Amino acid sequence: MSDFSVRSDSVDVEQIMRQIRARIREKRGVDYTEEEIRELANVKLEKFLDPKGVRSDLLEQYRRKRDESTGPRNYAFEDTTLYASSRPFLRFLRKLLNPILKLFFNPNPLIEALHIQSRLNDSYNQAESLYYELIHNLVLETTRLGIEVKNLRMRVESMSSRLDFDERRARALEGVVQYRPGAVAPLQPPTGGGTQSTDADQAERRSRRRRRRGRRRSGSGGAGEGRAPQGQGGSAAQPQPERASEDSDAGGDSGES
Amino acid sequence: MKLAIVVQRYGADINGGAELHARYIAERLARHAQVEVMTTCARDYITWRNDLPPGLETVNGVAVRRFPVNRERNPDVFGRRSRRVFEHTHSMADELAWLASEGPTSPAMIRHLVRSSAEFDFVILFSYRYYHAWHVARRLSNKSVLVPTAERDPAIGLAIFGPALRTVRAIMYNSPEERGMIQAVSGNTDVPGVVVGVGSEVPARTDPARFRRKFGLRRPFAIYIGRIDENKGCGDLFAYFRRYAATFPRGLDLVLIGNAVMPVPDHPRIHHLGFVSDADKFDALAAADLLIMPSYYESLSMVALEAWALGRPVLANGRCDVLKGQCIRSGGGLYYERYEEFAETLYSLESNGPLHARLGRNGREYFMRQYAWPVIERKYLDMLQRLQRESKPRTARSAEPFPGWLSRRKRNLPPAREVVARIPSGPVLDLAETPRNRNRIA
Repeated sequence: MSDFSVRSDSVDVEQIMRQIRARIREKRGVDYTEEEIRELANVKLEKFLDPKGVRSDLLEQYRRKRDESTGPRNYAFEDTTLYASSRPFLRFLRKLLNPILKLFFNPNPLIEALHIQSRLNDSYNQAESLYYELIHNLVLETTRLGIEVKNLRMRVESMSSRLDFDERRARALEGVVQYRPGAVAPLQPPTGGGTQSTDADQAERRSRRRRRRGRRRSGSGGAGEGRAPQGQGGSAAQPQPERASEDSDAGGDSGES
Repeated sequence: MKLAIVVQRYGADINGGAELHARYIAERLARHAQVEVMTTCARDYITWRNDLPPGLETVNGVAVRRFPVNRERNPDVFGRRSRRVFEHTHSMADELAWLASEGPTSPAMIRHLVRSSAEFDFVILFSYRYYHAWHVARRLSNKSVLVPTAERDPAIGLAIFGPALRTVRAIMYNSPEERGMIQAVSGNTDVPGVVVGVGSEVPARTDPARFRRKFGLRRPFAIYIGRIDENKGCGDLFAYFRRYAATFPRGLDLVLIGNAVMPVPDHPRIHHLGFVSDADKFDALAAADLLIMPSYYESLSMVALEAWALGRPVLANGRCDVLKGQCIRSGGGLYYERYEEFAETLYSLESNGPLHARLGRNGREYFMRQYAWPVIERKYLDMLQRLQRESKPRTARSAEPFPGWLSRRKRNLPPAREVVARIPSGPVLDLAETPRNRNRIA
């Protein structure tokens, strides 16, 4: 979340609300109402994104049901199918009378169409199970992606809130901490090695180094010697940002009332 | 000047919105006029059971005369009659039955007022929707000054209230939104009226650190003060806050003050403190970053005014016209209508946020300008003096005949909810009142 730019004492609440809504729209892309979002979320969760809702044995179940079903699968249709019969005499008679039948209509296009249809049915049956498998895999993949997106969104939100908090903390600290020139000497940037340092400085450094070495040698047997006492070391001098911001807040309150 | 103030309940320990409003007004007007309060013996607003003794007593220096309630409210009957008049086509007799079942039915109080009406210059009636207000407004319309405390709920759409709102001498509104709604539903634009509201006994000094120590609160927090009730929008508040808390682990906590009539979620960042003293309440407000008002229906939120008086911004439910209008006019608060707005506005109003100080200052100025006691007292006194100067009200208003026996039983009145739905809604934006325009004019 970013801050508002309030440039003067006069605050236009409606304008601020417009800014807030614009920012929400930016974040979300489209400005859905709460009900619409809830509806969309429900649909997704119920239909696609619920991993429990996707059965891992979906395909097997489908195949089993298909095998169990008693409905006709397909038919075979050749040029002899129309005249076929279990009785040879009848089959012979139909063939014999075929020219008379052709006087009334031409059965060949009909035979051809039904033949093509039967082949189409076959290919459709083969493709159906492929499509089903594909959809099944897509659903699984969508579920996985949805969960991953959700996790990522949560991480982004968490990071965003941390960032906001840090920004605010920095702002609060800037208001609280005052720089006093005499209190702590500011850190000097490095100034190009020892070319500008004087001989006296170098001698001083050498003697310090010697002192430190001597102390280390003598202190190796005595525990705690030369160590800062607990509770007075660096930890006490560490800035505590949360406390600082709370203190500043409390100070404002008491001053007001 | 002698005034009678008529209200459903009254007492130093009775903290209902209209009741507290009536007590504050009675105590303030008692400095300028002779005031006698007429009320019932009830303490409980659900049953109207006679808990207090009838007769005369003094509360904070104001004479209070109590009358017994004839019968307690039967919630089943009241609920059934409410459904009939709010949801279905009904008759005026149905509405009168609804009024009687709502109560508090105290015919003795009405009779006493009518008998002793000559002793009083004006009768100030609180809460249009109750039995006492309707009957007194009808019988003593020439002396009645109504403080409607009306919310945008179906009751305002009942036909029986139209004549009462048209025939009283004057109306003291709580907000421009309330005035707009009442004028739209009753057509009473010729009745003298003024937007007054009420002040509050805000202490000169508060001690937020004491409050934090007492209740062990270390983190910054937003506060809700009032009855913790689904009808007050607390269900939405809890749902939104839980989402907010999950998204912003270091954001504000939520402190709740008031009696709970719904379960409060067991959440580490929601602290329910129950009913607290006034001193604790004001210290809590001073310690809070902001006040949240999730209510859908308000005629005037006293606690919002108190927050503004202490320089705290308010985050209000934008679906409540009154609160939204007040936020815009005062420049002292923001509003939300869904979760995303709730989270963004809450973030913006934190004490370290960019708007907190400015909105708090605007709120304080708004309170001082509109709701400081001298302003409120002046508005009441001006209105009463104006009515005194007007010799008699116009007859057209005072004579609105009551329908006959047969007419009262004709089922030709539309459902009250439909009537209210037809009334224009939205905040009243008096542009001259917003801080930006005030500065521009200055």
